[in-house]
Amino acid sequence: MAKKPSKRINVIRCPVCEAVNVDHGGAILCHRCDSHIYREPKHGIGRTWALLLTAMILYIPANLYPVLNINNIIDGHSGNTIMGGVILLWDQGSYPIAVIILMASVFVPILKFVLLLYLLISVRHPVSESKALRHKLYYLTEVIGPWSMVDVFVVSILTGLVKFDSFKILAGPGATAFVLMVFFTMMTALSFDPRLIREYPRKPSQKKEKNR
Amino acid sequence: MEDPIKEEAELDQLVICPKCNTLYQKVPLPSGKCALCTQCGTILYRYDPSYLDRALSLAITGLILFVVANLFPLIRIDLLGNEQHMNIVESIRQLIENGYYIVAIGVLFMALIIPGMVLANYIVLIVLMRLGIGEALTRELLVLLSHLMPWSMVDIFLVSILVALVKLTGEVQIHFGVSFWALILYVGIDTYLTKARRIGTLWELRQRIYHG
Repeated sequence: MAKKPSKRINVIRCPVCEAVNVDHGGAILCHRCDSHIYREPKHGIGRTWALLLTAMILYIPANLYPVLNINNIIDGHSGNTIMGGVILLWDQGSYPIAVIILMASVFVPILKFVLLLYLLISVRHPVSESKALRHKLYYLTEVIGPWSMVDVFVVSILTGLVKFDSFKILAGPGATAFVLMVFFTMMTALSFDPRLIREYPRKPSQKKEKNR
Repeated sequence: MEDPIKEEAELDQLVICPKCNTLYQKVPLPSGKCALCTQCGTILYRYDPSYLDRALSLAITGLILFVVANLFPLIRIDLLGNEQHMNIVESIRQLIENGYYIVAIGVLFMALIIPGMVLANYIVLIVLMRLGIGEALTRELLVLLSHLMPWSMVDIFLVSILVALVKLTGEVQIHFGVSFWALILYVGIDTYLTKARRIGTLWELRQRIYHG
């Protein structure tokens, strides 16, 4: 077990190399890897909001348009949305796979949106006192992030595999929206500055000084 | 500000939990042991002197498996005597042929280019560190590695293959190609190198190699 240091000092973990750095308050360069640890917090949150809103808007076409187009000589042409695919798998009795798709493509993005919204709101408004909880939530968004790619990969695998003359599976417009949505949610999580968790909400006395 | 300016060597004796942000002072560990966070049980750091040799042999094995996985068919399917096969490259080719350029770019980077770069980066990095040369280059490589790793999604691609196959059961006959087994082994190695070991471990080994 590592022991806790006796003195209280203001330190910050470099997001790139994990080295501990002294936090002077402004932008710093990591002493170990020379990465920028922080940009200006004000700039950081605007960018994160923009990325998050882009991802949330893209989530709508990703779910409304078919991600999969099936051309079958017997059944004809049919498009499959994400929820449609989940329901189809459930009806076929593939419960575990239906649950995996549902989790990865529907719940993970929504959970990420909710977590990032919560973190971004808690930066400015005192919705949560527990900083340890918010650090854990931020960690969670980083871990679950890539899993929403499952559906895009499934579509590309089926497109590459099922190309018979009588039975063809093609990607659909929903897949494009979905891959962009995953890209922007990952960018959101990467651009969120975890130092904001510690700095805000400020104590009332400090808040007055900062008001313009 | 009451912060004393900390010496770099002193800062390197500290570690911050990646999950809950608790600060710890490092204690010397016996070989092969790891230090856990007392708050959340996450592994903070470990002392693993034979890691470089093991990582190098695994990374070279991984590279061979990665090449095999992309040269031969992953899956073959059979519909009434017609046979089709796919691998990652074939999927991307089909997506481009059907005009889904953005999905194709997503798959190309997340399942092919970035995983390949991570492996190549790992091999060059460890060879340089084993030889004790190229101090500045290893720093650049480590920084690049941290930026690449969140975007490497080969493990998710493997899960997606299984999901895709479940969607096809009953419709076609499925055969696994040699690449499929290579991909499973490769994903195991990739998970060990990039997920089971933290990037901080490599930075500490680098510190020990170039600065005693």
